[in-house]
Amino acid sequence: MAQDRKRKKQPRVIIFTTPTCSFCRAAKMYLRQRGIRFREVDVSRDQAALRDMVRRSGQQGVPVIQIGNKIVVGFDRPKIDRLLGL
Amino acid sequence: MEIKPLIAGFEPQERPEGGEGEKPAVYDVIVLGAGPAGLTAAIYTGRARLKTLVIAGPLPGGEPSNTDLVENYPGFPEGIAGMDLAQRFQSQAERFGAEVVFDEATAVDFSQQPFTVQTYSTTYKGRTVIIATGAEPRRLGVPGEDKFFGRGVSTCATCDGFFYKDKRVVVVGGGDSAIAEGLFLTKFASEVIVVHRRNQLRATKILQERAFANPKMRFVWDSVVEEILGDETVTGVRVRNVKTGETSVIETDGVFVYIGMVPKTELFVGQLELDKQGYVVADRHQRTNVPGVFVAGDVQDPNYRQIVIAAGTGAVAAMEAERFLDEYWQTPHEEAGPS
Repeated sequence: MAQDRKRKKQPRVIIFTTPTCSFCRAAKMYLRQRGIRFREVDVSRDQAALRDMVRRSGQQGVPVIQIGNKIVVGFDRPKIDRLLGL
Repeated sequence: MEIKPLIAGFEPQERPEGGEGEKPAVYDVIVLGAGPAGLTAAIYTGRARLKTLVIAGPLPGGEPSNTDLVENYPGFPEGIAGMDLAQRFQSQAERFGAEVVFDEATAVDFSQQPFTVQTYSTTYKGRTVIIATGAEPRRLGVPGEDKFFGRGVSTCATCDGFFYKDKRVVVVGGGDSAIAEGLFLTKFASEVIVVHRRNQLRATKILQERAFANPKMRFVWDSVVEEILGDETVTGVRVRNVKTGETSVIETDGVFVYIGMVPKTELFVGQLELDKQGYVVADRHQRTNVPGVFVAGDVQDPNYRQIVIAAGTGAVAAMEAERFLDEYWQTPHEEAGPS
């Protein structure tokens, strides 16, 4: 029950990555382990998404994780936990 | 096999056996860190049938997973992607029963047995601890660095190199990391300018040969970065020539910093002997000043920082942990009550 409720309330999660980025891989492993559904955008293959990410986050690096309308820069686990209520 | 008591009248204690797949209340070995040192230790303790927990920390796979290609680890004549090598270490440790958790230690207590390791989510207890938390890149500590970190200043070319397609980047440093990552950046950048405080590189010769032969690489010798410049994004760095004292500005879109590493030992301050630079002090058997706490890899190595050496010290720490446990179960000791 609690699980179901949590699942419904989960904000939309998008993770911006590149294939060689180790912290991206770590962040994805972590989200998977915690049962968080997310969409991955590989910015190395999508120029439009890359520009969009840079505009939204001001970042020139990955991972950038969008949780709801909040931006998390890097694999900042305490912040990810807080935003997802983990 | 009969175990002879070390002290007359003392009966060796029954060594607790955990059921298959059950999480033990007290682990034989808790490994902090899942780089080459920690995972090699776990391979050895797993094969010794010790209940082993690896707390992976912020970067499972450790520093090699930040490395594009590893060419000096024996057994891979063509080289292997750092991330793949890291994954292989982990699979091998898990094959022998080590439990690898994606969690991070936030506090430790080495003052009594069993030792306690607090993480974000759980408290673990262990008879021995092997510290393999590694090191993280040293920062420049100059104006502009914090402001632009992640927005033009980076310590991870494999993460962020892609953002500098057809742009000009500065790499600070002259060691293996600086040159290897500089070469990696030439895949994307139009020009890679290496700023180094000496007039020659410290990097391995084969890397130097490749760097000097690469038309995209340029070198600024005897120079240190004094400031990172820019408004919204990085536009340049101000460098000072250490011989002439002259300063100049190099235009650039990004700065990659490879000026050495800092050991990750904040958790152990006050509990373990650390040297002046913060490295854990170890003897030749990878023992710390606390019996039962061992250390391996870059967190105790200011000099070499090689995967093969990290793995080697991990193996030593594991064998010493096994020896410690054998003695532990043969001698009388006070058990700390349940907490």
